[in-house]
Amino acid sequence: MKSMHDLLIVDDNPADIALAREALIACAYKGQVNSVGDGAEALAYLCRRGNYADAVKPDLVLLDLNLPKRDGLAVLAAMKANPELRRIPVVIFSTSQLSTDISRSYELGANCYVSKPGNLTEFFSMMKSIEEFWFGSVSLPPRGE
Amino acid sequence: MSSPATQLVKPASAEPKTQLRALLVEDSEADAELVLRALRKNDFDVSAVIVQDEAGFARALRTHCPEIVLADYNLPDWKGMEALNVLRRQDLDIPMILVSGALGDVTAVECIKQGATDYVLKDGLARLPEVVRRALRDKYERGLRHQAEKDLAKKADELARSNADLEQFAYVASHDLQEPLRMVAAYTQLLSERYKGKLDENADKFIGYASEGAIRMQVLIHDLLAFSRVGRAEASYSTVDCNEVLEEVRQTLASAIAECAAIVAHTDLPAIWADRTQMTQVFQNLIGNALKFRGKEAPEIFVHAEKAGQQWVFSVKDNGIGIAPEFAENIFVVFQRLHARTEYPGNGIGLAICKKIVQRYGGRIWVESQAGRGSTFKFTLPLQGPQAKEEAHQ
Repeated sequence: MKSMHDLLIVDDNPADIALAREALIACAYKGQVNSVGDGAEALAYLCRRGNYADAVKPDLVLLDLNLPKRDGLAVLAAMKANPELRRIPVVIFSTSQLSTDISRSYELGANCYVSKPGNLTEFFSMMKSIEEFWFGSVSLPPRGE
Repeated sequence: MSSPATQLVKPASAEPKTQLRALLVEDSEADAELVLRALRKNDFDVSAVIVQDEAGFARALRTHCPEIVLADYNLPDWKGMEALNVLRRQDLDIPMILVSGALGDVTAVECIKQGATDYVLKDGLARLPEVVRRALRDKYERGLRHQAEKDLAKKADELARSNADLEQFAYVASHDLQEPLRMVAAYTQLLSERYKGKLDENADKFIGYASEGAIRMQVLIHDLLAFSRVGRAEASYSTVDCNEVLEEVRQTLASAIAECAAIVAHTDLPAIWADRTQMTQVFQNLIGNALKFRGKEAPEIFVHAEKAGQQWVFSVKDNGIGIAPEFAENIFVVFQRLHARTEYPGNGIGLAICKKIVQRYGGRIWVESQAGRGSTFKFTLPLQGPQAKEEAHQ
């Protein structure tokens, strides 16, 4: 069964994932949240390999940059090089504010780059604007294509 | 104290003789004898090896380890000046003195140009001891100087490396500390929001302390990063009109200025060769401080600059609470604060950043103040870039 929306969070820090879930609950997000902890897992999930054969293709990916195994930029590059995955919007969600990380992300086709705020209130309001924009304002690519 | 017996044994007359290992390049035994006699007569205890050709010379360098080379200019099988090339090839710094029959001035000058230390005519051997002494002394001093330069370069290297390490350490430490701290800050905040009033009073208090501590540490780390960035970032130089900088600072601080009805005035300020962002930072920190540490009256802040020799002296004068002279140095140290956080907020990073920036330009910063009588912060910036060149032409 497909839910209203499917979000995939790729982050190696379970505390960060839990925080994002809390923030999504706080802004009354109705969809599904799935998460994986490294870049290799992310690609396995997206390509529905191994344990992820039944995974649902997400409507949006929230991608951290600093990841074990394959870092966020490698995941992003692989996604944008794959015709099956290319259309899925990717929000880079990282603590890095290095201009090299930011411009590299856009060069590789990131749909937007968001710096993880350090403070809870800002973190919640940032998640809220991501949720409102991508699952409210935006027309996402049609499903099942 | 030395015993009288020792004094009796010591030969009373002679000066201590100077030990000297000499290498003579000379085909005439008689001339060699004259040379050695001239030296021995003058308190040199000479041990000499005499050679006539390159093979002999190279061998004697190894076996005799001479301190000085005395070479005839003309030899049947070799040239005295060739000895220099051998020394150079072996990277030996041994003074070589030409001891020769009639040698034209032009030739003599040419030899010295090529690296001979000096030359002495065979019919003027009385000069030789002094020439040798001077050559040895020069070499000794050259060695000392060389060693001192080497030591200094090594120290400078070590210092630069340890500075770079420290910068790197501060940056990495603060950057990597941010991540776990972000979690502590976020979750203590979440705890306090979600469980306030649901546990007991103590729990609320404890969570509050933990949360405040984490947030304060985030600010400290943020400041530490800003401080270490001053040393790391490449400054991008351009001509910076300080009047514009001040206008910008005034706009940034507009609400703080309006809040306490402050007056910020300045005379005509110069354009300087500097990094605009860094200059803005310096003025903003100084003026921000003047607003923060105000007295009972509305702040009056006055910025002025005047040229003194090869530098500009900037001053930021206020009518605030002032600083007792004994703290005048401390306030520029990172994280040094004179007041309780509850009295005046801040982390004690502003002036440390000012100092680091000013020092990067080769200037200095200090404060002239009395407690309760306002402060004047002054800093110098050496004339640099196109301006300095203009100055130099005038």
